[in-house]
Amino acid sequence: MSIASMKKLSVIGLASEKEALMKSLMRLGVVEITTQEGKMTDEEWGKLVFQDGNESAVSEYEGRLMTVQQALDAFSKYGTEKNPLFQTRKPVSRSDFDNKLKEKEKIEAEAKEIASLSARILELNTEANKVEANKLALLPWKDYDIPLEVQGTKETEIALGVIPSAADIKELERDLKEKTERCVLEHINSDTEQHYLFILYLKSERNEIEEVFKLYGFTRSMFSDLKGSVASNIEAYDKRLSDIAEEKEKVIEEIKSHQDSREDIEYLHDSLIIERDQAAIRSRLLLTKKSFYLEGWVPKIAQEEVEKLLNDHGCYYEIESPSKDEDTPILLLNGKFSSPFEAITKLYALPNSREIDATPYFSLSYAIFFGMMLSDAAYGLILTIATFAVMKKFRLEGMAKQLINMFFYCGISTIFWGAMFGGFFGDMVAVIARTFFNSDIALKPLWFEPMQDPMRLLYFSFLLGGIHIFLGMALNAYLSIKDGRVLDAVFDIGLWYLLLIGLALLLVGVAAPLAKWMSIIGAVGILVTGGRHKKGIGKIIGGFTSLYGITGYLADVLSYSRLLALGLSTGVIGAVVNTMGSLAGGGVKGFIVFVIVFIIGHTYNMLINTLGSFVHSSRLEYVEFFGKFYEGGGEAFDPYSEKTKYIEILREDK
Amino acid sequence: MSIEVANLVFNGSYLAILGAAIAALAGIGSALGVGIAGEAASGVVAEDPKKFGQALILQALPGTQGIYGLLIAFIILQKIGMLGGSGLMDLSIPQGAYIFAASLPIGLIGIFSGHAQGKAAAAAIMLISKRPEEIAKGMVYTAMVETYAVLALLISFLMVNGVQI
Repeated sequence: MSIASMKKLSVIGLASEKEALMKSLMRLGVVEITTQEGKMTDEEWGKLVFQDGNESAVSEYEGRLMTVQQALDAFSKYGTEKNPLFQTRKPVSRSDFDNKLKEKEKIEAEAKEIASLSARILELNTEANKVEANKLALLPWKDYDIPLEVQGTKETEIALGVIPSAADIKELERDLKEKTERCVLEHINSDTEQHYLFILYLKSERNEIEEVFKLYGFTRSMFSDLKGSVASNIEAYDKRLSDIAEEKEKVIEEIKSHQDSREDIEYLHDSLIIERDQAAIRSRLLLTKKSFYLEGWVPKIAQEEVEKLLNDHGCYYEIESPSKDEDTPILLLNGKFSSPFEAITKLYALPNSREIDATPYFSLSYAIFFGMMLSDAAYGLILTIATFAVMKKFRLEGMAKQLINMFFYCGISTIFWGAMFGGFFGDMVAVIARTFFNSDIALKPLWFEPMQDPMRLLYFSFLLGGIHIFLGMALNAYLSIKDGRVLDAVFDIGLWYLLLIGLALLLVGVAAPLAKWMSIIGAVGILVTGGRHKKGIGKIIGGFTSLYGITGYLADVLSYSRLLALGLSTGVIGAVVNTMGSLAGGGVKGFIVFVIVFIIGHTYNMLINTLGSFVHSSRLEYVEFFGKFYEGGGEAFDPYSEKTKYIEILREDK
Repeated sequence: MSIEVANLVFNGSYLAILGAAIAALAGIGSALGVGIAGEAASGVVAEDPKKFGQALILQALPGTQGIYGLLIAFIILQKIGMLGGSGLMDLSIPQGAYIFAASLPIGLIGIFSGHAQGKAAAAAIMLISKRPEEIAKGMVYTAMVETYAVLALLISFLMVNGVQI
């Protein structure tokens, strides 16, 4: 389990078989075909082969895909069908898939039409924005009633413009009058930013007027392409806006009328994706006149099937194991319980091919941490049922499936810890019994109630944390030994084990003499060996800095106190909600208040604490656990396959 | 008058309630933090409305300090009998002062860590605007800040829990 072992595949085949083989390989979907650009620069290869490829076909498919995607986007934007909570692929047999696409041209024409309708809506929106902006610019002038095309008379000129609202209109008028008596200023409108002014003056005195304008920051407003009064222009804009809205409505209706073809278009979309990928993969093949060459990766478990296929197509092939420090693509393979937790690994980073997949080592602790932090049996029950329902209802794949499955397990763990600590919607049972039935029944915890004995849970959290950290260190040692660095494992992990276990025993007061010697040997050992990779004085300093690393272990263990803190937080906030609900007392009225407060409060508490538990469990794994041994940085295995979006084409059973 | 005021202030029950109030001040940090993250989230969602859910998750992260403050305030109130039917207990001045002191860690650290976590959350929101697939990393960076609020919550809780009444 964990990382799938990969084999390196090289194939030479007849050019006449190329297309058929590539098609079958795609359907099989287990071979990652690697790019061969490196070979083209190699002199010997360069003489023999040339690169296959058909870029123009790829870009043609891309273009068509874009149109089809636009049509589908238009449906999800304007259609009446509800978009489902999770997008899932519909399973369809290959013959059904091919049948659906018999009238491909017709479907594509329809998709084109819908895409152009959707483009029309965009155009209309842009125009509406423009008209709206024009209208907004005109609005302050709505009381100005001289037609806008009138810019003066033979002798006079009109200036329409704005000055900043900080400027004083009276002063401007006075200054203007000082220059010349023969001008008129009218104040049209004001808003928070500027004053809107109309000024009439003689053309011959324009220069004098302009001087004053400059002084006051007067900016002319231009309406050169408008005719008629402002009011009539605004009216025209309004009319245009309503026309646009009407046309948009019509276009949307038309898009809706095509809704029945949505599925056909989805089929088309996926078939285009397949064809595009078939065209695109060709750039990874090398050709001679009569043959082709490809290289790739195949997981060991799929080797037989691939061999059979290659034999069927009469290819010559070689399958070999990669050399030790060669980077292989990473495919995670885990058991039923662990595989959902791959999501957490992937969210961090895939392991590189020299290390191990951490997933099986942290799945259980992740579920435990999550459960302890949410620690409410009722919330756990809701989480379990909800995720189970989603799993049954939707055919999820990939990351979404893993996350939902993971929350299912985490929900079960939450039920367990909720029962251990006696949390069921906080202390709902006790509060209801007290408020409405005057009895003192309460849900008894199977283990103990953290509120009554927090120190006990705190120590338990530290214990779990210690085990978790030790496991991480053990994996580090394992990796060192696997790599042939046995001494590193002994010095960097073994000595720390001695020291830490010794200290822990001293703290608890068990086996004191032995513990004392364990600690001393560990500490001295670390001091001596800590700087062994350094030179000169560094050897001594290195030992001290290594030993100083003990503060890191202390911080790591303390970090697990969040298990207690977040668990308490769920329980206490739940109790707060229940107490608030019960404040209205017993009786029918009290009951109604209780139900309302209960629903709102517990929904909020559950959501925020589920988020918190998810985040903090991840943090404990990422920082405290992964930090001990995990590097990450592998590339995901990306097989050449049918990467459809809406339809899953089922493999035919032979 | 001054004696009355002195009696009020140097009074165990009053000090304990003041402690509860200080614990609840942790909400200041959350309000600041959620606000900062919300501003960043709106900016990102303006570009791509589909990121609403992801941004909301990150925005919610600095909200926990307020909850921790509420939690300690609630425990204090329950301990001194202000919640539930028994009525406010008469506390001695040392008792009240202990509870007051116990409220300080979460009250103070809540404010600063909430604010700081809000900034980290805002940065994480910017991160998902470019790389939505890396949300987990943004969440972990943001959660690193919360550790200190968790520690403060824990110490306040243990202190309140330890005061004998």
